Amino acid sequence: MIDIKAATKSFAGKNGDFKAVDSITLSIQNKEIFGIIGESGAGKSTLMRFINALETPDSGQVTVDGTDVVTLGKKALRQHQKDISMVFQHFNLLSNKTVKANIRLPLTLHKYKTPLSVDEVIEFVGLDDKRDSYPAELSGGQKQRVGIARALVTRPKILLCDEPTSALDENTTDEIVDVLRRAQEEFDMTVVIVTHELGVIKQLCRRAAVMERGRLIDTIEVNRSVRGRPELSYHERVLEVLQDA
Amino acid sequence: MPEALQVYIQRVIEYAPRLGESLYETGIMMIFAMVAAILLGLPLGTLLYLASKGKPLENKFLYQVANIFVNIVRSFPFLLLVVVMQPLIRYFYGRATGDPVAASFPMMLIAIALYARFVEQSLHDIPKGVLETARSMGVTTPQLVWKFLYVEARSSLIIGFTTAFVSFISYSTIMGVVGGGGIGDFAIRYGYQRYETDIMYSAIAVIIVFVIIAQWLGLKLAARLDKR
Repeated sequence: MIDIKAATKSFAGKNGDFKAVDSITLSIQNKEIFGIIGESGAGKSTLMRFINALETPDSGQVTVDGTDVVTLGKKALRQHQKDISMVFQHFNLLSNKTVKANIRLPLTLHKYKTPLSVDEVIEFVGLDDKRDSYPAELSGGQKQRVGIARALVTRPKILLCDEPTSALDENTTDEIVDVLRRAQEEFDMTVVIVTHELGVIKQLCRRAAVMERGRLIDTIEVNRSVRGRPELSYHERVLEVLQDA
Repeated sequence: MPEALQVYIQRVIEYAPRLGESLYETGIMMIFAMVAAILLGLPLGTLLYLASKGKPLENKFLYQVANIFVNIVRSFPFLLLVVVMQPLIRYFYGRATGDPVAASFPMMLIAIALYARFVEQSLHDIPKGVLETARSMGVTTPQLVWKFLYVEARSSLIIGFTTAFVSFISYSTIMGVVGGGGIGDFAIRYGYQRYETDIMYSAIAVIIVFVIIAQWLGLKLAARLDKR
């Protein structure tokens, strides 16, 4: 379980300090797909980064499965981060490594007891024919699949997704959402998704936190629609959105 | 004209052994400089990056010490650096003049400082996301350096090394002042001081060819390794 208590973090801005995260208290259950939504600058990403300690709150508590994340020493922190994977908006692949080498990368950093095989995850995200390609040869959606495969290969207990579809077009977004949902079902982990795209939350999450200017405004139950509308072509969507009254 | 050409060729043949010797001396200085650049300049540049603000080993003191060292060495007029280092070289090596190994000491110092700066710049050009990804995976600092930074910066590290290499050739040409020899010294002594202009230009041509080959090889290797 992820437990955040009264966590606050300020950054120095042009007009003095501003609170990116303002005393937020929040629990995320094991195996849950939890969304964090809000406009850009609402502090969603900072809040999520508390979980794997890429950001540390100025005050408050962050506990993951009983471990106090804020006070971990360097070595313990690495052990903590080892089991939490992250998917990024801009994919953050190493451009000088092949797809295969990118996915294998986390396995070369730590010893994992029961990792998945590289081939297995490549197949899972549907990139069998791209294993020896370099990221520059891939489309945005394919790059994000590599990012997801790299995140899954360690069999993480928590998967953090930071705007995973915000750099992608709509159809690709649906593909990625689909991969994420299958991943959660198949590998049974806690998933936290930060996004400003309501559709992504709608398709994936049962619960979501709504943030505004650093504050937690509400935590809502999501009426999940398992299928978005991925069957529509771009042209059909355009007609739907622009012509329907 | 063929007669003049004949004379020229004869003179080149006559000077060839001296030229070969001076190339050997240049080679010694270059090898010392290159080894120093890689073994010490690369780590120093990496330290400059890692110790800078917002980076994993952020440390103002360490950064400033390294930074000031690089700035001082690089802003020293090289000829004076050579002169100033004489007692030090004598202390460590026994003699400060008259051989290319002694002349290699200032070469190594400038090589370290120069390449460290190139390395620092190359590493700063790596997209921020790479660093964040590495941190999210719980890397140690050596893992960060070897598995992320050097992988992503490799072609720019090679281009920087090529530029540094060309500068080393240039620096090596004045080592004649302390008897270090080398191709530059050859050009000055036989060509300039003895008015044998043809020999001087021949030596310069040799240097130019070396620079062109080095530059071509460096860029080619960098392009091959660059998958961005």
